[in-house]
Amino acid sequence: MRREECAVETIKLEKTYKNGVKALKGVSFCIRVGEIFSLLGPNGAGKTTTVKILSTLIKPSGGTAYVGGYNVVEESSKVRKIIGIVPQDLTADDEMTGYDNVYVQARLHGLSRNEAKKKTEEVLEFMGLLEAANRKARTYSGGMRKRLEIAMSLVHSPRLLFLDEPTLGLDVQSRRHLWDLIRKLKMEGTTILLTTHYMEEADALSDRIAIIDLGKVVALGSPEELKARLGGDRIYIKPVLNQDLISIKERLERKGYEVSILNGEVIVKVKKAEDSLFDIINLLRDSKISSLRISKPNLEDVFLELTGRKLRDEEPLDSFRYRIHSMRVRR
Amino acid sequence: MMRATLVLLVRELKKWFGRKPVLVMSLLTPVLWIALFGKSLNLTNMLMPPGSLEGISPEMMKILEEMVTARLIELFGTTDYFTYISSGMLVVFAVFQGMFSGISIIFDKRLGYMDRLLVAPIPRLSIWLSKILAVAVRVTLLSLLLLAVSLLLGMNLKEGIGVIDLLASWSYIVLLAMTIASLYALLSFYADNQEIVFAAGNLLNLPLMFTSSAMFPVEQMPDWLQKLASANPVTFAADLVRYHLIGRPVGDYTAELVKLVVIALVMLVVSGWASLRWMNNR
Ligand SMILES: Nc1ncnc2c1ncn2[C@@H]1O[C@H](COP(=O)(O)OP(=O)(O)O)[C@@H](O)[C@H]1O
Ligand SMILES: [Mg+2]
Repeated sequence: MRREECAVETIKLEKTYKNGVKALKGVSFCIRVGEIFSLLGPNGAGKTTTVKILSTLIKPSGGTAYVGGYNVVEESSKVRKIIGIVPQDLTADDEMTGYDNVYVQARLHGLSRNEAKKKTEEVLEFMGLLEAANRKARTYSGGMRKRLEIAMSLVHSPRLLFLDEPTLGLDVQSRRHLWDLIRKLKMEGTTILLTTHYMEEADALSDRIAIIDLGKVVALGSPEELKARLGGDRIYIKPVLNQDLISIKERLERKGYEVSILNGEVIVKVKKAEDSLFDIINLLRDSKISSLRISKPNLEDVFLELTGRKLRDEEPLDSFRYRIHSMRVRR
Repeated sequence: MMRATLVLLVRELKKWFGRKPVLVMSLLTPVLWIALFGKSLNLTNMLMPPGSLEGISPEMMKILEEMVTARLIELFGTTDYFTYISSGMLVVFAVFQGMFSGISIIFDKRLGYMDRLLVAPIPRLSIWLSKILAVAVRVTLLSLLLLAVSLLLGMNLKEGIGVIDLLASWSYIVLLAMTIASLYALLSFYADNQEIVFAAGNLLNLPLMFTSSAMFPVEQMPDWLQKLASANPVTFAADLVRYHLIGRPVGDYTAELVKLVVIALVMLVVSGWASLRWMNNR
């Protein structure tokens, strides 16, 4: 029943741990070859459990999963050959050097001594760890350790890469750095499964996202599709003179836009702000506008709408609300 | 299988050699034991008639001395306890080293490295096997060192000892070490903290050592202890090694050898099977 186009396919995956915790209650999704697919959900949603099953570390209690076309239970050794995994918890050996940590992985994946040496140096350089290669992993900083984990998981050039909360605990700079790296790997053709509870991360990186909560997928689609469920973007237009509000509203309404007025601003509800902006600016070229801004719903809002709860306790960074200040539209 | 095992074995040994202070201490411990324990217990002197006993004729004294010597030879196979104990120490330290398979497994589990190994495309049995073989290699190196030190301190090997004797002794010591390593490996896969392994070590090591012929001859033990000793693989290994190294006669060579090998095989099979089961059923 498995589908050819899926690099990873899970069918009604269930996991009940030995202590009785039901971590997964029927998770189904398909990761297409070459895409970045995210599992987005709060702590305890079942993201790590899913990744562990897909990487053959634990067995599902129900359902099936295929990775690269192989059944994760019956053909686990074939699965292990083609995947690379960066687990949520660190796995490098403190007492070994960075070099040895990576080299042992290369050898375990069947590379010859020479190949292993070459590839080890290559990935260490790629991850910016060549200088620290001969130091014990114990002496590495948090960001370096994460990069070492990634080096360990890339040394055999896997077709599929699983990254479980890769940017957890990293500073902003390291996080951006890692995002670039993930995009680069995608460009090289690697299929990537990413788990995160940062909605900015899922939004910025993913081709498609499965929002997961309490062991179930509650929504699946591209970031745009998910956000479109909330009825799209809003464009806020502030005229220089308040008396222009009505005429602006009417002009837009005549063109079929959904418009309202609130707090001295005209609000236009559109599917995708980028697609309508030019048209709206064009319509308003004779009006004196003092400012114009776009508001996009974010995945936090989507999660809230779907589950009635917040994705995480802290307030998310407001990075997807941009403003276009004092944009004057003339003539 | 062998390839992955070898890679992992090299990793174990590299880590062992990489920690210089630990290496030095683990080499020094048995040396000190042999030097201090073996030398401070001088049975021949202890068993001589007390100095306060007066009026013994020289003939009588000679008879007494001959009695003591005969009894010592009967029990120890030598008049020199140091030779007896240092050959036993080789076996005792094989037992002590067995624990390191467990410690290494516990640490790999704790550090998450075990998860790395479990997602690597290797036969999972090689993870277990590398731990057992690492103990075998450690024991080999330690035994060579111990033997060298013992010889320096005056251990007397049997006359006309040959390469076969040395090789046989080595195999029995390593076989015993792997038996014990299997036990700790099994325990450590299922235990979720390292204290269990240390506690088991404290619980098992002394009884294993003293209910065997490694330190003292079985023949002079009380009945119940003799029964225990005659089921203890440490006894078989000690008896066989002594036969080859210092020439102490062994009751039934073949029987002891068979028992040692059977116990070792059973432990290895059970441990390997159970460890694999733990790895595959999570
Ligand atoms: N080894 C385990 N034993 C028992 N329960 C577990 C285990 N691992 C995770 N859980 C539980 O399963 C649920 C899902 O956990 P997890 O998959 O780690 O979520 P996430 O990665 O999304 O934070 C949680 O309730 C967690 O407490
Ligand atoms: Mg997790």
